[in-house]
Amino acid sequence: MIDPLSAASRLAAGGLEAQATRLRVVSENVANSRSTGSTAGADPYARKTVTFAAALDRELGAAAVRIKQVGIDDAPFAVEHDPGNPAADADGYVKLPNVNMLIELADMREASRTYEANLQMIKQTRSMVSMTIDLLRSQG
Amino acid sequence: MEPIHLFDLASRQARWAAVRQATIAGNVANADTPGYQARDIVPFSAVLQKTALTLARTEPGHLDVGGASGIEANRTSKADNWDITHSGNSVSLDQELLKAGEVSRAYTLNTNIVRSFHKMLLSSVRSGT
Repeated sequence: MIDPLSAASRLAAGGLEAQATRLRVVSENVANSRSTGSTAGADPYARKTVTFAAALDRELGAAAVRIKQVGIDDAPFAVEHDPGNPAADADGYVKLPNVNMLIELADMREASRTYEANLQMIKQTRSMVSMTIDLLRSQG
Repeated sequence: MEPIHLFDLASRQARWAAVRQATIAGNVANADTPGYQARDIVPFSAVLQKTALTLARTEPGHLDVGGASGIEANRTSKADNWDITHSGNSVSLDQELLKAGEVSRAYTLNTNIVRSFHKMLLSSVRSGT
């Protein structure tokens, strides 16, 4: 078991990484919000989701966060009538990705809020460490 | 020599604050983990009251029963949590940051007391010469 203050920094750093991955997936979804298939009737881009899980870190002796899986949202695709599109099926309907901008933006806000909280923990832990080190300084 | 006891007390409280900080960091890291329940450690007064006897580890392979600090993080009760989300997660970021503020305040007080006590000790040693 390592020093609890280093453990705190490492746990918070794990949290930062998890939220950064989540933010990456959100931006992937937003970027692909109009990515249709390229052949007639093909499926478009499917929205990706991130799931977190708590895993006991033996070295830290605490529950660290990790990415459980990056899954696919199986919500139905929206369809649009656009016969000129190369992805249109025989009836002229094009399948569009199941990405909802509103949900993605809410997800993004939540991820950045948790990211900031983790960052705050790292900052505070660092100031606690420097307070301890300062005890050695300027005595007398 | 009696007054040196204060250093022991201060280092125990610093250790307690550090363990609590690590517990809070674990909670914040798992703020969006489904089913995760927030943890916290017992207050320092409770740690002082029961002097936990832990098993001695004479081999690296021995299990670390009481943890290195003898302080363990338990799940908090439902009543202590501010909100529980639909996914079963009971971490409230506001509450965790508030607790982190408490820890920081306690730690600042602790290091400042140690510093001034050390100064007192030094000045009494010097005035003797």
